[in-house]
Amino acid sequence: MTAIADGPPRAGAHRGRNISKLVIRLGAFVGFALIVIYFAFTARGFTTPYNLTNIVEQSTILGILAYGMTLVFAGTGTDVQRGGIDLSIAANAGLCAAVYAVLMRAGYGGYVAVPAALVTGMAVGALNGFAVVALRIMPLLATLAVMNIAEGLELTLTENTVVAVNSPLIDTLAFGRFLGISTLSWVFVIVSLALIWIAHYSRTGLRLYAVGGHAEAARAAGVRNGSYVYGAYIGAGLLAGLTSILIVARLSSSTPGTGQMLLPVLAAALLGTVFSRRLIPTIGGTLLAALFIGTLANGFQLLGISSYWVSGVQGALILVVVAATSFAKNS
Amino acid sequence: MTDTTPPTPSRNLSFEALSNYAVIAAFVLIVVFFAIFADGFLSGENLMNLVLNKVVILAIVALGMTLVIAAGGIDLSVGVSVDLSSMIFIMMIAAGMSGVFAVAGGLAAAICVGIVNAILINRLKINPFLATLGVLFIGETVQRVSTQGGVPIYLTRGEYSAPFDAIVRTGLFGVPTPVIVLIVAALAVYIALHRSVFGRYVSALGAAPDVVRYSGIRVPLHMSMVFIACAAISGVAGILLSSTVRSYVPFSGDAFLLDAIGATFIGTAISAERRPSVFGTLLGVLLLAVMRNGLLLIGWNFFWQQVGIGVLVFLVLGVSFGLRRRND
Amino acid sequence: MTAPAIEMRDIDKHFGPVHALDKADLVVAPGTVHGLVGQNGAGKSTIIKVLAGIYRRTGGTVRVFGEQIEQITPAVIEAKGVHFIHQDRLLVPSATVAESVFLRNEPRVGPFLEHRTMRRRAQELLKTHFNLDLDPGTLVQDLSTAQQKIVQITRALANDARVLVLDEPTAALVKKEVDNLFEVLRRLRDDGLAIIFISHYMSEISEICDTVTVLRNGTDVGVVDPREVGIQRIVDMMTNRDTSEMYPPRDVTHGEVVLEMRDATAEPHFRNVSLTLREGEILGLTGLLGSGDKEVMNALFGQIPLDSGEILLRGKPLRMRSPVDAVGQGFAKIPEDRRAHGVATALSVRENISLASLLSMSKRGLVSRKDEARVVDDLIADLGIKTPGRDQLVKNLSGGNQQKVVVAKWLSCESEVYLMDEPTVAVDVGAKIEIFTLMNRLAAEGKSMIFLSSDLEEIVEMCDRTLVIYRGELIGEYAKGDIDADRLLAAASGAASDETPKERSTA
Repeated sequence: MTAIADGPPRAGAHRGRNISKLVIRLGAFVGFALIVIYFAFTARGFTTPYNLTNIVEQSTILGILAYGMTLVFAGTGTDVQRGGIDLSIAANAGLCAAVYAVLMRAGYGGYVAVPAALVTGMAVGALNGFAVVALRIMPLLATLAVMNIAEGLELTLTENTVVAVNSPLIDTLAFGRFLGISTLSWVFVIVSLALIWIAHYSRTGLRLYAVGGHAEAARAAGVRNGSYVYGAYIGAGLLAGLTSILIVARLSSSTPGTGQMLLPVLAAALLGTVFSRRLIPTIGGTLLAALFIGTLANGFQLLGISSYWVSGVQGALILVVVAATSFAKNS
Repeated sequence: MTDTTPPTPSRNLSFEALSNYAVIAAFVLIVVFFAIFADGFLSGENLMNLVLNKVVILAIVALGMTLVIAAGGIDLSVGVSVDLSSMIFIMMIAAGMSGVFAVAGGLAAAICVGIVNAILINRLKINPFLATLGVLFIGETVQRVSTQGGVPIYLTRGEYSAPFDAIVRTGLFGVPTPVIVLIVAALAVYIALHRSVFGRYVSALGAAPDVVRYSGIRVPLHMSMVFIACAAISGVAGILLSSTVRSYVPFSGDAFLLDAIGATFIGTAISAERRPSVFGTLLGVLLLAVMRNGLLLIGWNFFWQQVGIGVLVFLVLGVSFGLRRRND
Repeated sequence: MTAPAIEMRDIDKHFGPVHALDKADLVVAPGTVHGLVGQNGAGKSTIIKVLAGIYRRTGGTVRVFGEQIEQITPAVIEAKGVHFIHQDRLLVPSATVAESVFLRNEPRVGPFLEHRTMRRRAQELLKTHFNLDLDPGTLVQDLSTAQQKIVQITRALANDARVLVLDEPTAALVKKEVDNLFEVLRRLRDDGLAIIFISHYMSEISEICDTVTVLRNGTDVGVVDPREVGIQRIVDMMTNRDTSEMYPPRDVTHGEVVLEMRDATAEPHFRNVSLTLREGEILGLTGLLGSGDKEVMNALFGQIPLDSGEILLRGKPLRMRSPVDAVGQGFAKIPEDRRAHGVATALSVRENISLASLLSMSKRGLVSRKDEARVVDDLIADLGIKTPGRDQLVKNLSGGNQQKVVVAKWLSCESEVYLMDEPTVAVDVGAKIEIFTLMNRLAAEGKSMIFLSSDLEEIVEMCDRTLVIYRGELIGEYAKGDIDADRLLAAASGAASDETPKERSTA
């Protein structure tokens, strides 16, 4: 018996697409490497262990929040306008930080405050899920409204002030070291590994990506799409809750303005797609992207380039990445 | 030959009609509520303040956003258009140029933002959300670099020419100039969106872009015009903003983004056809402003106001999308 | 005797006022290939979607291997061993072959996916069942249509399918691929699987099916053995009418040549295609899916640029870079995907009809509502569009009336050349007749049409001449009366070219 399909009839088109995909991925890796090399030679102190740890620490908060966004993208697709997005994730982290800090200040202790922060994050995520899955509001708008609510609640809790926090947990997170590596970095490593497992080595992850990749196909295969979208938003909320504690640890306080992280978080999650073979959001890709953005910020700092340029460079990166991937997908 | 009538979803229609009235009724109720419980809500001074400070500029930005959302897009960079227009305007005035030049300069800056958006969306095929998001980032850097990191520029009395000042403050026949500008802008957008051929193409783009393409209409051209128009209208808002406060404060345009989007969608929920409309958007802006002002007067602080507005927008979206689903 | 694999009795399904299924039965025995045929709109896909749990039935009972199932969901029905190979290849484009095969049945060690096992077993399954060497790490989006079909069937087999439902599985396949697919299906049948086979191709039905259920207007009108009764009888049962009723007659008078395509090539779609079209002529264009017929039509509408060759309108060469140019020259397209490309369903009848001709009913850029209403009302009356009024939203109209709205749009800007891409897809028989009547009227008014359809019966009955595209080349031109649907199919499947086809028709 002969094979039914000997080869793709449109091989030419596919080869073209695969080549441009490859070029983009290589470009991303080479670009990253070149920038690191450039900094290594020009920025004094860039390669010192202290500075490299610093980069990882700087990237931790951004990275974990971007993982949350990555989960949402995985479960709802990267067409941010029609698919899914979580604009509330940074504001959510801010709210969780406020909950944590205010409870600590009120003397409740970590055993109450930490779970309370995590639960707050998940509740906000569940609200997003409810709006998107049950009410079928466009995710862009639903999470925008939720972002407003979360920001308002954060301001209400903290009255727009810095709420200082002191606790052994915060000290450990901020200053602790294990095997010569800071606790913050360890958290990043552990969260990354756990999420790589969930997203790429578990049944749940495979189905989540199926839902985001082609909702109809997933439904036809018997996947209950709604619960995966819910799960993605709640997962993002949980990660926001976790991040909030790291934010408090790094600043020793809950500080207004966490919502400002939204744009770098989006940039990291979108930039991450160019590091993946399939040009889709992956945990590994987002990890690299977060490190990339952290490296850029750090290198700029060392080179004395004004921090004014950071957001502009991030914006340009988003545009380049999105234009390049849409070009690769259409060619 | 319209002998046989296909089934009309009469139940849905009446339900829709009910919900239209429900939103408007809710609006009236909110006004009545504040009139009773918020001291001074109905005072002439408060209403004037409400219109001038809370409504005019937001309304103008929201009109631009209405065009973009009607065409099925979104513009996250309206704040950049507002800010850059305001920045160039104030810088030119501060450099001693005439008001006319400064206005033209400010508008040109805003239109540049629109052109960049148009190129990103139509040439590079980046979806409007991400394209304008990128521009939002870049706009921040442009402002930081131009103002040593975000230092506001305040005009001194001498720099601000007296006649120009008078126009901005008083206006024609006792109507303040900003209100006149708003009326003109609303009329212009109304005609463009609801009466002109261009507006038809815009609505069709929002409903089914491929149908427009298959009808032999230049989609990129019209999409570009929409984004450029939105930026230009936001530029007008920027000039008004800086004329009223006689200064340029970096990033102040960002504050309008969410409210403009919220107002447009509230308007969409109110409109009978569930489409963005000028009337609906203006009502949406009023609703947001009344809520803010009323909540302030009954003693809610700024933070609770934000929660309240967020919940309101969430509810309106829920009703609006719930109805749309019922209709499909 | 064992219970039937599938036993659907008295299935009812309403979509609002539309009665899509009216006490339909479908009973399938294990170890057989069971055909399901009917015209578009007869309820084939609806009954399948009810069985798949995509639609909820309004009434009736469903038994699978004797076990009654109250609430069908995709997960429940799959757990019973019933698997669906949907027409529109429902696979996740960004997933690999291995992931697609094992979605919802993922091999694991503890909490970890076994990517390696998945790949190995996917490769084995593909090799044993299809003799196909395919890297299981290939992404679905990089597979050919036939390969995607195979991945779907492999997924069913990996899940120990006992019933396989194939919806138009051969639509995009070439002859050789079809033969091999049938070989696989026969072997699976002999292994005891029940297979439900849905196809438009009557010759395939009679070749592969042991029994056939014929649906008409949402009801089953007979269960027959196709080898006994023959194709003609089945077609008669499907239509329950004389074909002359279906295709209204028309006087043919052709005028001058309107459109000419000379030696047009657009790689990789088609090569050296030449055609002419006269005033008042209906020219058929057909080919198997992926043959390039659709692309020829798209090139005429400016959607695909030509590498070489030219398009002439009344002897004048045209520059065709986009639909903007085409529409400007008087071309009109009735696209296949009506709801995505033809009408804006969220807009009113008025806004849809006037969309392409707004400039002619406006002054200084402002739309004259009066002129617009007049033009639109005239067209609504003229074409008999059934709508309560011009401001009714198009989504509330029936499929046939939506199609008339598309035609009205082009009539309002006085288009001359009508490119009709599957205009009868997803409309009921009555609406079909109306569309054909409309086509005849346009022809009588001197308009020219190119009619593309995969329903060869329609092509044969409606077209004055028919062109057949095979693998991107024009391989035949047939005048009306010179060819029947079966010979047309043979031509479209490449009978006239290098490949020697097996006889696909037994009629």
